[in-house]
Amino acid sequence: MFHSEPMPSIEHSRRPGNPQHDQHRPTVLELRNVSCIYGMDRPAITDISFAALEGEIICLLGPSGCGKTTTLRAIAGFEPVTGGEIHLEGRLVSAPGHLIPTEQRRIGMVFQEYALFPHLRVQDNVAFGLQKLSTDERATQVRLMLEMVGLTDLAARYPHELSGGQQQRVALARALVQKPAVLLLDEPFSNLDPDMAGKMREDLHDLLRRTKTTAILVTHDHDEAFAMADRIAVLNNGRLEQLDTPEAIYHTPSTPFVADFVGQADFIPGTIERGKVVTEIGEFPHQPDYRGGATVVVMIRPDDVHIALLAQSTTHILARQFHGSENLYTIGLPSGRVVHSSEPSTTVYPVGTPVELQVNATHTVLFEQHLRT
Amino acid sequence: MNQAAAIKPALPDSLSLVALTVAGLLCLPLAYVTYMALTADAAIWSRLWTTRIPELLFNTTALALGVAAGTLLLGVSLAWLVARRDFPGQPLWEWALVLPLTIPSYVLAYIYSHLLGASGPIESAWQILAGPDSHLPSPHSYAGAALVMTLNTFPFVYLLARAAFLNLNVSYEEVARACGVSRAGTLFRVTLPLMRPAIVAGLSLVVLYVVSDFGAVSLLRYQTLTYAVYQQITGRYDPTAASILSLLLVIVALIFLITERWFRQQSRFFQTTGRYRARARRQCSPLGALFASVYTIGVFAASFGVPALLLVQWSVSAVSSGAVDARFFGFVWNSAFLSGLAATCAVLIGLPLAYLASRRPSRLNLLCLQAAYAGYVLPGPVGALALLVIFSHLAPFWYGTAAVLVIAYVVHFLPAGLQSMEPALQQVTPNLEEASRSLGFGTAATLRRVTLPLVRSGFIAAWVLMFLQSMKELPATLLLRPVGFDTLAVRVWLEASEEYYQLAAPSALLIVIMTIPAILLLISKDWRAA
Repeated sequence: MFHSEPMPSIEHSRRPGNPQHDQHRPTVLELRNVSCIYGMDRPAITDISFAALEGEIICLLGPSGCGKTTTLRAIAGFEPVTGGEIHLEGRLVSAPGHLIPTEQRRIGMVFQEYALFPHLRVQDNVAFGLQKLSTDERATQVRLMLEMVGLTDLAARYPHELSGGQQQRVALARALVQKPAVLLLDEPFSNLDPDMAGKMREDLHDLLRRTKTTAILVTHDHDEAFAMADRIAVLNNGRLEQLDTPEAIYHTPSTPFVADFVGQADFIPGTIERGKVVTEIGEFPHQPDYRGGATVVVMIRPDDVHIALLAQSTTHILARQFHGSENLYTIGLPSGRVVHSSEPSTTVYPVGTPVELQVNATHTVLFEQHLRT
Repeated sequence: MNQAAAIKPALPDSLSLVALTVAGLLCLPLAYVTYMALTADAAIWSRLWTTRIPELLFNTTALALGVAAGTLLLGVSLAWLVARRDFPGQPLWEWALVLPLTIPSYVLAYIYSHLLGASGPIESAWQILAGPDSHLPSPHSYAGAALVMTLNTFPFVYLLARAAFLNLNVSYEEVARACGVSRAGTLFRVTLPLMRPAIVAGLSLVVLYVVSDFGAVSLLRYQTLTYAVYQQITGRYDPTAASILSLLLVIVALIFLITERWFRQQSRFFQTTGRYRARARRQCSPLGALFASVYTIGVFAASFGVPALLLVQWSVSAVSSGAVDARFFGFVWNSAFLSGLAATCAVLIGLPLAYLASRRPSRLNLLCLQAAYAGYVLPGPVGALALLVIFSHLAPFWYGTAAVLVIAYVVHFLPAGLQSMEPALQQVTPNLEEASRSLGFGTAATLRRVTLPLVRSGFIAAWVLMFLQSMKELPATLLLRPVGFDTLAVRVWLEASEEYYQLAAPSALLIVIMTIPAILLLISKDWRAA
């Protein structure tokens, strides 16, 4: 599986094993070349385009200041766009000089800090946006929703009497009870401790699938994005670097930034010779769009590199980090470069051990030399 | 003895004793008034119940509620405009709307007696429109008193509401919009309910101020409890009846105070949590900007602009007619001397109370601090009444000296001073002092080299605040001043009572000018941060 560079893959990749993914589903949300450029003080976004199908979960992934929250707020209608168009359920909601107010967009929003109204009980928080319904209907909807998120017993509590995880479920219930066209989640797990976050991730994923909710989730945590998303949009400096399935993002990143951001990666320089990429750790299959003699870098993930003892080798182990399920070795090459290798938890070699590298070439990704600086 | 005391063996017992004595003395006036009222002849009680009390209670409560409603409307709407909307001059008005606090209530009252009085400028203008026989309602009425007090006190609500608007986490409003609620719906269903604690705190300041105000109601001749207490003392010399009315007044003030405390308990969880994002101001439409400007300028002109201009104009003509003479400077000196002495005494007296309460918060020490706040619910005439009676009984040779007046100021204004001394002491953690001790400095050297430099600014603020309050103080000064020992505030009131508006102006203007920098200093502390 080789990926040509630097074209981002724009076709909708199917996620294997996801039965919901079919092409008959309508597009719910579409961003066309959206730009939001204000002052120096706010992160800008430039020329962002993507579309979300009904029931799809898309993660906006990137470092802080990359524009992922700005993108989310533009979809919500909190930020006007300075270029491009946003379509929601086939309706133009944002364009320069055109801004449908948030309350008319049929969106649901879950904030990082949940923003539960502290002056209202759980049930009134959930009922907040249902004032157009009759009292009976409202009560029924709230009850069903609280059952769905498992908070029936806490309906009469105030937000400050709830744990972090419970607060998050209230925030979710309040957003979902509106039956929003698209649910927007801004770093929803960052205020929870890691164990709780893992549990809530599973619950949320399950809930979104059951309610067939289209969701856009902002996160800076690639593990969270991998666990939740049907597709991931990686943003950097306000631009969309790659939009693809989690697997493709990890194995065939289209830019060095994506490669580095979604997991540990080493970049080894090489040259194209005799139809091969020649590097100091071995030869890799060549990609057709590079001329012979071109200098490139090869991206290698630690799980593609294995080590074997070799007494006369000039390559040796510099450090070992024990991660529980794996050992991450830092290997010093004769040139002074380092690569990393992930070994099973029980494979323990002392620092300084001479080794040879065995690189699994099926996941090799090439970048032009100048892209990696 | 608790552990903290065991670590610092140098000061403890004598300091606690001082604090206890001071607290006892500070409570004495309130205790004495209560004692006098409760031991009064039942005949006096029943006479007052059948004659004065219903009317006075009604008037006082009605004024408090009317002013509360007025300040709620003005304060919240103005705070919303300057915090949430962008219109020409918005940064200027945001700042200028605090200035009405610099005008003492009696000064604003006398200016409005002139403006709205019979054949005053507004009635003259009205008569040009509506004919020479038409008259406007007199300012010497409920409406007049409510108007003056509203214009005088709305900045309390404005300041707290503005801070609340700016501090509110914008996510609450955004999530409401995402739930499909309109901008106006969000304001009334989310923003204002979340601001309730701030608004209530502002209103309770307003109500306490109104209930204990003497200057404005006396000049507008509106009968409230405070005014009646004063009249019982001066007009009839009936200290017993005065003490009964005083006790009622204290109870009314306490009820409002306790209500506010209770409310704050109820909503103590209303803090905004998580990351905070400020909300951008929305640009006004041209029509909206026009309306916002007219409204803001109108309120500012009525509460500060026009009164200040009038004071300047009158002062100029008073100066040119020779009113600012050696006698005037004598009043300035009297004011400065008394207020300076009172502020200094209050800081010295407050220091052990605040220190013990923040360092050794035993039940007794906290009680001492609470006792010092008794002056809060002791309106000026009541405190004056108590001291007057106490001194005429126990120490008649002191009665009529400046010392009694200084004591009255200290009792009355120490709570305000403590409010800025206490946090100043609390921010000096014991660790800092212990670090100094571990570096070889004794208790005294530590106090001088570490504690005092750190608390200095808070104490200076307390001193300035108490100095200005004392300078503006009217009822106690009127009742307790030594014969012929007039202060600026007393001169303003005496001249204004006789409707010598121009003669009153220089003293009033001087008070306003001296107050402006202090008010700005006090609000600048949490202005931008808010």
